[in-house]
Amino acid sequence: MNVHKRIAIYGKGGIGKSSTASNVAAACADEGYKVMIIGCDPKSDSSITLLGGKRIPTILDLLRDGVDVKEEDVVFKGYKGVQCVEVGGPEPGIGCAGRGIIVAIQTLKKISRSLNEMDLIIYDVPGDIVCGGFVAPIRKGLVKEAYVLTSGEYMPLYAANNICRGLAKINTPLSGIICNSRSVSREEEIVTKFAAEIGSELMAFIPKEQIVQDCERDGFSVMEKAPDSNVAQVYRKLARTIMERDSSVMPEALDDDRLRELTK
Amino acid sequence: MDNKNISIIHPRPSSIVAALYTLRDLNVDVAILHGPPGCSFKHARLLEEDGIHVVTTALDESGFVFGGHDALVNILHKVNDMFHPKLIGVVGTCASMIIGEEMREPVMEANLDVPVIEVEVHAGYRNNTKGVLFALESALDAGIIDREEFSRQQHLLEEATNVELRHGAASKEYLAPSRGDVKYKVAQRIIELLKEGKRGITIMNAKKETGYMFADITLAVNEVAEKLGKADNIINMSNTDVGLGLPRVRHHAECIMKDFEEKGLNVHEIIGGLDEYPVAGATIDKLIEEKYSDYDFAVISGVPHAIPMDHLAGMEIISVTNGPRQVLPLKELGHEHVLVEIDLHPKTLGVNHIVESEFGATLREVAKESL
Ligand code: SF4
Repeated sequence: MNVHKRIAIYGKGGIGKSSTASNVAAACADEGYKVMIIGCDPKSDSSITLLGGKRIPTILDLLRDGVDVKEEDVVFKGYKGVQCVEVGGPEPGIGCAGRGIIVAIQTLKKISRSLNEMDLIIYDVPGDIVCGGFVAPIRKGLVKEAYVLTSGEYMPLYAANNICRGLAKINTPLSGIICNSRSVSREEEIVTKFAAEIGSELMAFIPKEQIVQDCERDGFSVMEKAPDSNVAQVYRKLARTIMERDSSVMPEALDDDRLRELTK
Repeated sequence: MDNKNISIIHPRPSSIVAALYTLRDLNVDVAILHGPPGCSFKHARLLEEDGIHVVTTALDESGFVFGGHDALVNILHKVNDMFHPKLIGVVGTCASMIIGEEMREPVMEANLDVPVIEVEVHAGYRNNTKGVLFALESALDAGIIDREEFSRQQHLLEEATNVELRHGAASKEYLAPSRGDVKYKVAQRIIELLKEGKRGITIMNAKKETGYMFADITLAVNEVAEKLGKADNIINMSNTDVGLGLPRVRHHAECIMKDFEEKGLNVHEIIGGLDEYPVAGATIDKLIEEKYSDYDFAVISGVPHAIPMDHLAGMEIISVTNGPRQVLPLKELGHEHVLVEIDLHPKTLGVNHIVESEFGATLREVAKESL
């Protein structure tokens, strides 16, 4: 197989990056790919649904305790062999999460051999690109392409647009837009248009379905708990598209007026 | 002033260090640097020579990510047990300030029965006097100084910044360091002037503890004049008012005046306190205009660039500074001879007597030869 996909998923906080990332990871593992997921959120729950709801020690937890971190301390096998890593971070309101990502990524780069053996590595990066720390995986050369997750609502689109601006700034191509539906009116149309106008395209439209929530609450991915569901099909298709995709563009962010017009 | 917007590209003393020195002048027993172990290392060590304990919370990578709250609480307890201080200072650094550390909380949590002055400062200020100001503001809040002293200090700081912008190290984008003129030759010149019967003024306009060495230049000039039988040709001015300034600064003035007295040196004009070097210029200018305008030469030590040239212009000026970057601006001001006392600072910390200066020593030696 021997693919070397290194992707990051960006998008407004709470838009569903973690469930998308873990379901894509699971779908790729189903297809036999070697997959790793690296959660960069201080909440450290990117991989929780791949581990049957269990939390794993994070890189920064160990670093805080002064442990000389080894690969086996922080890389854990989850659903179908998906390797799970959580960066971790400080409690809300203290310290510096951005710096945390930088330190953790540097550590991981140093200690992890399997980083090179993966067919797909997904970085699940929190929220918006707000400081240097959030683009550390890219800047440290670990990410080759980015996906942006959004819904058809104004704020997530605003964030998505901003992220595109950030990506262009750090010279990282955008491979596509993914819509995680919030069931707002004309959603697919709006996001399709947005994607086209920034020079990209809509990769998938993930419908809003209760089953995703239910599986998550139980601590599982949809791929594991409800593989026959409609939404599992969507994830499977998205996973395939990601693995096969070889085109990307430097996104051109829209100005504020145009963005607002689009969502009217 | 149009040179206000120049960007100075040579490294400058930082606001963190300025805050540390201010805490020292407020007589703290311990200063805690909240940040990386290497921050301000050189000055921290120097200040230890000056009799205060400087310690660090030694934040590392993990501290930068998770914050240093606990580290600060711990060290507050530790220094309290170890040194039994009467007054403690806590100083922020770039690292702790950038990650948004709160210093009040840990101080409250440590709950010591010793007053603590916290200074939230990093090194990213254009004027390093900001560090002094922040320290003074905290001292005011903590009731260590009164409003009147605070306003006085604030005014001095503004003037100090102006002095640096006008003719000091902040006056140009880049100033190459220089050792100044050869001390031996300038010593010869002073002796020559005295032998010719010329009349001179010594002006010590020094900054705080640096006065311990600059005062030696006043002493040396007077000693040599006396040997040549010209003692009466010299008028001495110094900014050693014992009643002005933060506690430690007043103490320095007392020590220097005591030494002057012991050596039989007469200070004719007290031109301000040891922290008033940025504003003493006006007093000096007025004194010269009124009483000494027909003098032939002036030996100025300390912060010579703070003195206006209006009534000095007719005199031959010998100035002694400790700033290697001060040579060029002084020459441009019209000072004929500019000398630099290298390493002055380390030698004047932790002392309470006048310290021999290189130029003073040279002058004494050359005088011996030429008698
Ligand atoms: S960058 Fe700031 S915190 Fe770091 S050593 Fe320098 S002055 Fe200290």
